[in-house]
Amino acid sequence: MTNLEKYTKAFEETFNITAEQTKGLEYQAISEWDSVGHMSLIAALEDAFDIMMDTDDIIDFSSFEKGKEILAKYDVDVK
Amino acid sequence: MIDNNLVKKCKEASKRMRINAIKMTHNVGNVGAHIGGALSMIEIMSVLYLGVMKYDIKNPLMEKRDRFILSKGHGVIAQYAALKEAGFLTDEDLLTFKQNETQLYAHPSMNLKMGIEFSSGSLGQGLSLGVGTALALKQKNNTSSRIFVLLGDGECDEGSVWEAAASANHYQLSNLVVIVDKNNLQYDGQTKEILSMDPLEEKWKSFGWKVLSINGHSEKDLLTALNSNSNVPIAIIANTVKGKGVSFMEDNVLWHNNRLTENQLIQAMEEQED
Amino acid sequence: MIEYKKSNIKLWSRLGSCGAFGFAANELAQTNDNVLMVTSDLCFYSGLDRFKSQYPNKLFNVGIAEQNMVGVASGLANEGFIPFATTYATFASARCADQVRVNMGYMNLNVKLVGLTAGLSVGILGPTHISIEDIAIIRSIPNIVILSPADCTETVKATIAASKIDAPVYLRLSGPMNNPIVYTDDYNFEIGKAITLIEGKDISIIATGTMVYNSLKAAEILKEKYSICASVINMHTIKPLDKNAVDMACESNLIVTVEEHSKIGGLGSAVSEYLSEKTNKPPQLILGLSDEYKHAGSYDYLIQQYGLTPEKIADNILKKYKNIER
Repeated sequence: MTNLEKYTKAFEETFNITAEQTKGLEYQAISEWDSVGHMSLIAALEDAFDIMMDTDDIIDFSSFEKGKEILAKYDVDVK
Repeated sequence: MIDNNLVKKCKEASKRMRINAIKMTHNVGNVGAHIGGALSMIEIMSVLYLGVMKYDIKNPLMEKRDRFILSKGHGVIAQYAALKEAGFLTDEDLLTFKQNETQLYAHPSMNLKMGIEFSSGSLGQGLSLGVGTALALKQKNNTSSRIFVLLGDGECDEGSVWEAAASANHYQLSNLVVIVDKNNLQYDGQTKEILSMDPLEEKWKSFGWKVLSINGHSEKDLLTALNSNSNVPIAIIANTVKGKGVSFMEDNVLWHNNRLTENQLIQAMEEQED
Repeated sequence: MIEYKKSNIKLWSRLGSCGAFGFAANELAQTNDNVLMVTSDLCFYSGLDRFKSQYPNKLFNVGIAEQNMVGVASGLANEGFIPFATTYATFASARCADQVRVNMGYMNLNVKLVGLTAGLSVGILGPTHISIEDIAIIRSIPNIVILSPADCTETVKATIAASKIDAPVYLRLSGPMNNPIVYTDDYNFEIGKAITLIEGKDISIIATGTMVYNSLKAAEILKEKYSICASVINMHTIKPLDKNAVDMACESNLIVTVEEHSKIGGLGSAVSEYLSEKTNKPPQLILGLSDEYKHAGSYDYLIQQYGLTPEKIADNILKKYKNIER
């Protein structure tokens, strides 16, 4: 599985949505991506890529696209 | 339209209740009882129990009953007297008041089978219970039951009363009615000297309540006020006299809590005739 | 159904005890129609934002009026609902003590009072917001069950368990965000039944709340550095106290209680009160917060200051252990 696939899968499973729906998705755009959903997503991503994210990065993680940039900081290339 | 027969029935009950309150006070001997504030609320109790509230003594937990909460718990002798009129208690029960192992404490102790919805005695808490009860009935879609909470005017010193008053308005609890027994005295003296809450009507109004100011010893006024409807909670300011009906107790702070001597008993009982 | 899987356990730990409580609240709303939430302007802080959006009619926010909150919850309880009432632990206990006493104690009403940020987790907000006396206050009131979960998974379990008993409950939530994880897997949680996490014949460490994790670490130090075997018992229910667990602990040479609460009136006192009735018993060491208000500070800083780090706990236990006659 590529990193992008893993990344997308974390969104799909956390929010119960399709890969199509993840594109351009933003925080609080759907009811599942609320504050609790956000922490679930972070936990899923940390698990998938075996990383621990900083609080600032967790807060800045505001969209599907933005998240890719943030993961790059942890040497996870999601392109 | 007020039913004159109902007024008469309540008046007769008030008379018996006043006699029972005096007897209960005398019966406890030297420890005395909170007779003054009980006598000011006699008519409020008789009208609620005999003219307004729905309840079933055979089925005290009936969902569609009206709920009564005595927030000024020390006035409970008047409630016990009313529960006797309603059929929840007997004359023998009344004589156990303040005796060891009685169910009739000096402050009400929760006992739905006896018609007592909640325990009270620590002032300022009954209205919050009323708000919670009113919210619960709405949640259960019980739109027919009403909740009556009786407060003392001295009790309105408690800040928690106003927390609850604000929330009742916020939730538009049209099923909630407060009656303030405004007898103008509290333990240490006149309310206006201890902590003036005047103008009390304006305070309740400004908290969003519909306010009715009435003579709290008039069964007719009470029946009208307690049967009125509103989209917001209703506060009835019942203007009363502490110690009402016994000349030496009336408007006398010494009778907040006191004992009755034999001679005083005789005089008090004589005054109940005619 | 809540799944006690790795990712959830990690999530709850991340969210902290308030978030874990909110998570459990949502589960309860799905499974029990009678469960309601009442809060005093701490809806979001209690982790109830999702609850609010999903069940707006089951949440009552009474504003910054804690005394009224307890009364309103009690009115709801008397009509058959199961209200959870949330505010800071210090307001839940100290500020509303009389409402809690009359409604939950005397009237025995089925209210679940949730004390947020008990202990030192909001230490930087100062002594007005920390809560080091709440167990002492509520423990002295008859009828109220006191639950003090060890981690966020146990917070979820305790919340659900509290909803299932017909009794007033005080649920003490403590610890920081990224709450240390004691339970990495599902396990059996039963109110009133302490859990022995590790066995050890020399010393019995009875801990509650956040101090369960620190006691496990302290026990490791004692074992690795000094070859002293300490058992660690998670006393998640402070009232009623699991007396059997204390009886078992009496078979070791020293009983230590550890809590993020004043040494006065908390778990240590509860254990000590029970021990006072017994004749054959080892000495007891009470570790907890000293009887003072310290400077405001971060959680980690205050845990250091009060001597409740695993290292300090191990040191203090060792000191006492060396001085007892065996």
